[in-house]
Amino acid sequence: MPRLKIEDLQKIKEKHKADFALREGGYRAKVTVHMGTCGIAAGARNVMTALMDEIAKANRSDVIVTTSGCAGLCAREPLATVEIMNQSPVKYCDLSDEKIREIFKEHILGGNPVEKYALVMGSETTY
Amino acid sequence: MEKFRANLMLCAGTGCVASGTTKVRDALRDEIQKRGLDEEIKIVLTGCNGYCAEGPVLSVYPDEIFYQKLTVEEIPKLVEEHFLKGRPYEKLMFKEPEKKTAIPMMKDIPFFKHQVLRVLRNKGLIDPEKIEEYIARDGYQAAAKALTQMTQEDIIKVIKDSGLRGRGGAGFPTGLKWDFASKVKSDIKYMLCNGDEGDPGAFMDRSVMEADPHSVIEGMIIGARAIGAHHGYIYVRAEYPLAVKRLQLAIDQATEAGLLGNNILDTGFDFKLEIYLGAGAFVCGEETALMRSLEGKRGMPRPRPPFPAHKGLWDKPSVLNNVETLAQIAPIILNGSDWYRSLGTEKSTGTKVFALTGAINNVGLVEVPMGIPLRTIIYDIGGGPKKGRKFKAVQLGGPSGGCIPESLLDIPVTYEDIVATGAIVGSGGMVVMDDNTCMVGTAKFFLEFTADESCGKCTPCRVGTKILLDMLTDITEGRGKEGDMETLEDLGRDIIATSLCGLGQTAPNPVLTTIKYFRDEYESHIKHKWCKAGVCRSLTTFWIDEKMCKGCGACLRGCPSKAIMGEKKKPHKIIQELCVRCRSCYEACKFKSIKILPANFEGDPSELVGVTTETETKKGES
Amino acid sequence: MAEKPRILIVDDELIVIRSAERVLKAEGYDVEGALGGREAITKIEQNSYDLVFTDLKMPEVDGITLIRWIKKTKPSIGIVIITGYPSQDTIKEALELGIIDYVPKPFTPSVLLDVTERAAEWIKGRKPEEKKVKEEFPPAMEAELERVISDLRRKQGALIPVLQRAQEIVGYLPPVVQKKISKGLNIPVAEVHSVVSFYSFFTMKPRGDHNIRVCLGTACYVKGIERVLSKITDALKINIGDTTENRKFSLEGVRCLGACGLAPVMVIDQETHGAMTPKKALEIIGQYEPAVLEAVSASGMEEMAEKEG
Repeated sequence: MPRLKIEDLQKIKEKHKADFALREGGYRAKVTVHMGTCGIAAGARNVMTALMDEIAKANRSDVIVTTSGCAGLCAREPLATVEIMNQSPVKYCDLSDEKIREIFKEHILGGNPVEKYALVMGSETTY
Repeated sequence: MEKFRANLMLCAGTGCVASGTTKVRDALRDEIQKRGLDEEIKIVLTGCNGYCAEGPVLSVYPDEIFYQKLTVEEIPKLVEEHFLKGRPYEKLMFKEPEKKTAIPMMKDIPFFKHQVLRVLRNKGLIDPEKIEEYIARDGYQAAAKALTQMTQEDIIKVIKDSGLRGRGGAGFPTGLKWDFASKVKSDIKYMLCNGDEGDPGAFMDRSVMEADPHSVIEGMIIGARAIGAHHGYIYVRAEYPLAVKRLQLAIDQATEAGLLGNNILDTGFDFKLEIYLGAGAFVCGEETALMRSLEGKRGMPRPRPPFPAHKGLWDKPSVLNNVETLAQIAPIILNGSDWYRSLGTEKSTGTKVFALTGAINNVGLVEVPMGIPLRTIIYDIGGGPKKGRKFKAVQLGGPSGGCIPESLLDIPVTYEDIVATGAIVGSGGMVVMDDNTCMVGTAKFFLEFTADESCGKCTPCRVGTKILLDMLTDITEGRGKEGDMETLEDLGRDIIATSLCGLGQTAPNPVLTTIKYFRDEYESHIKHKWCKAGVCRSLTTFWIDEKMCKGCGACLRGCPSKAIMGEKKKPHKIIQELCVRCRSCYEACKFKSIKILPANFEGDPSELVGVTTETETKKGES
Repeated sequence: MAEKPRILIVDDELIVIRSAERVLKAEGYDVEGALGGREAITKIEQNSYDLVFTDLKMPEVDGITLIRWIKKTKPSIGIVIITGYPSQDTIKEALELGIIDYVPKPFTPSVLLDVTERAAEWIKGRKPEEKKVKEEFPPAMEAELERVISDLRRKQGALIPVLQRAQEIVGYLPPVVQKKISKGLNIPVAEVHSVVSFYSFFTMKPRGDHNIRVCLGTACYVKGIERVLSKITDALKINIGDTTENRKFSLEGVRCLGACGLAPVMVIDQETHGAMTPKKALEIIGQYEPAVLEAVSASGMEEMAEKEG
């Protein structure tokens, strides 16, 4: 590491924001990908990979991704739930690589839920 | 930018490493790779989490799921369930003793729930071997502030106002110590850190040095600036190899980053820091002794004045602060003295870390606001004594401290209130003892320690502790006589009054407090030759109550000297001539049919057993 | 032992083995060669050697691994390293493993003979009376010790750090080492001795191959370390501060290792073992010396109660 100046301390902090958003909480949006056996069989892994890729490309540290088990609606897998802080959660179904990328841009970054892919909006909160 | 969806914080403190962290880390890494999750999930090795008894422990973020007692065998299942399928794996979660339901989240586990983390603010959250992670948690911001925006007086004022007191034992106000040293004019001054955590039962300093070494270094930079020192040493026990390694790495990284050495952060301030390895002497926890040891001599204390603030290391003005004290400095500088005072009491401000160990359900490090009742720590956080056992005492302050009985558990934990009981807060070791512990034996244990560690310079301590020890040995071996307790008390008080340093001045505390609160145990040892806990071998007879024995054979199988006889399902018998009084039968019996009687007891035990039960009940109620 | 020691030369280059053989055989030494660490292990298992000369850099089983193996399985064999890379670090590592000396590569016959003679003397002096406290130590150790002293000579308060390093190198601090340090640092020998005797970390007695440290802290006391300790002292027939007759184990009591969460705690060499019971402790020691376990099971100790308070 080169010698630091005072302003470098802040820069380093910024650089590690993504990891610490995970550890400390304080994120803006949370996406839960449902990864039960059915979800994985239907392609939830690709959805997850595409989502991680988008987040990395957009360089966002305020979006976190978690996984959960089967959502109970196996026919409509892959499923994902998007929760923006202070808004009701939206569940998306029949997801694909392209669809999740679109949702990321429109809903997670833009703030507008993508109704055409949505299964329910303002659904039951499980947490 | 690399982006992970989860961070797995795996504890790599001394305790967890001993329980197998390294193997678990390898298994976890391999399994995650095998499942193709290595670009999504990051494994971070952290310092000591403080929950050592259930190690290796792992926290998963962002879910905040806490796993314990990890084994290599369980890793594939854990990875599959939690990280692939998203179902937290219940089998490895914390379960409350005697209950079956798992508690998934760390913040809901009683052990963690009541804690307020200031000193341990980074525990389990950062990789202690990476300076960037410390900086990402506001690290070195306080040092930058102290070096650019504050004068020496400003720094000292904030620390004074915060009410911070030395966490190493005596509780001397830190700001005042700095103030004295800053006012002395000298070309050379030293800023020193005491990492010679000698009190048995205390390990918070080890934890901080392992989990957050930069917090100690930052505290020292600020202290050095306040007193005008440009050279410092961290004196660490040789028994803590991992702490030494992490500190050295932290010093090297900080030096490379320009946070130590010449012209720190381009502010023109110089501070060089070195580690000095102790060589094993309890007395070196005393400040003048520690400085002698740093000079390469026998670590013997010397009379004060002159105080180290005037004449310390190599006769130069020096300040010595304890590890935990220094770890508190940076947040105080950043958040101000009012923030610090918002917890604790008027005279004992802020938080204190305690090492909760011994005969208790939840063992580990706990950081709590000062002033909370002892009972909260022992019962709410610690989960109380193990099932079927009775709380007897909690030992505070190591060999300089004392034993506090059940009846005093509601006192608040402050420097003053604890001293009033005869114990001291000390460095914060809290060892819980249950009815399996003999209090006379405990006093003897501590005196063995202090008599051995006495440096020998002053007579009251050198000879006095030896006499105390001899008398206690006599009592535990059946040679106690009338008047012994009074002699112990008189002599103890004399040693306190006349010893040169803290070691001698506090050494009699374990004896005095046990006599004060457990007088009946001493009497029973001396008069009735009866150690009711069954610990002192010469004062115990083990006897099977035939009415209660189910003949299960547990005692018989466990007896190393084959002193127990009996047929299955019929009452057993102990052949006293063969018995070595090792207690194993007593502990093996599930039906409480084995009773502890006085030495060489002959006569009708049934009468005596009745008496025992009665007195024990009374004691429990009082 | 025969007049001349039996020597095994280990190197991955045949030419080195051949030339060493030529030089040493001419002087009457009983010499054999092994191409690489693996062959060496096979040979050492089958025959008995007094000295092993080994290269460090070898494919597959390297020199350090070989030395570790020898130290563990046949600690009485003396080891000399042959190295073309006498860097401070590798030598330090080898020294910590307890080698006698080293031969730089390429070597002249006279250097090789010189080192061999010294090593043979060393082996001879040590073997018949192992219990006697040795008054001299291997030449490589001496050189390393001198280097440490000259590195730290100018530092303020150098005595304790030098003693710590010296103990790492030699294993303990006999009078001869203390005298050397006294001279090197220009500190009276009485003062050196006073410091050595003051701190519990320093020992003037040689330690065994494995150092068992039992924690005597409060938490360990409450959790029953005394019973664990008494089983260990019974099984090894030594007390705290002593070394077993075969030099395999030393036993030390320490004041709190700061691992109170795992109480009671025992450390063997660098490994920490927590939640000890008398049975578990003996099982762990048994991994180093199976005889301990056998002796114990013979006396019916395997049924020892597991339950701890």
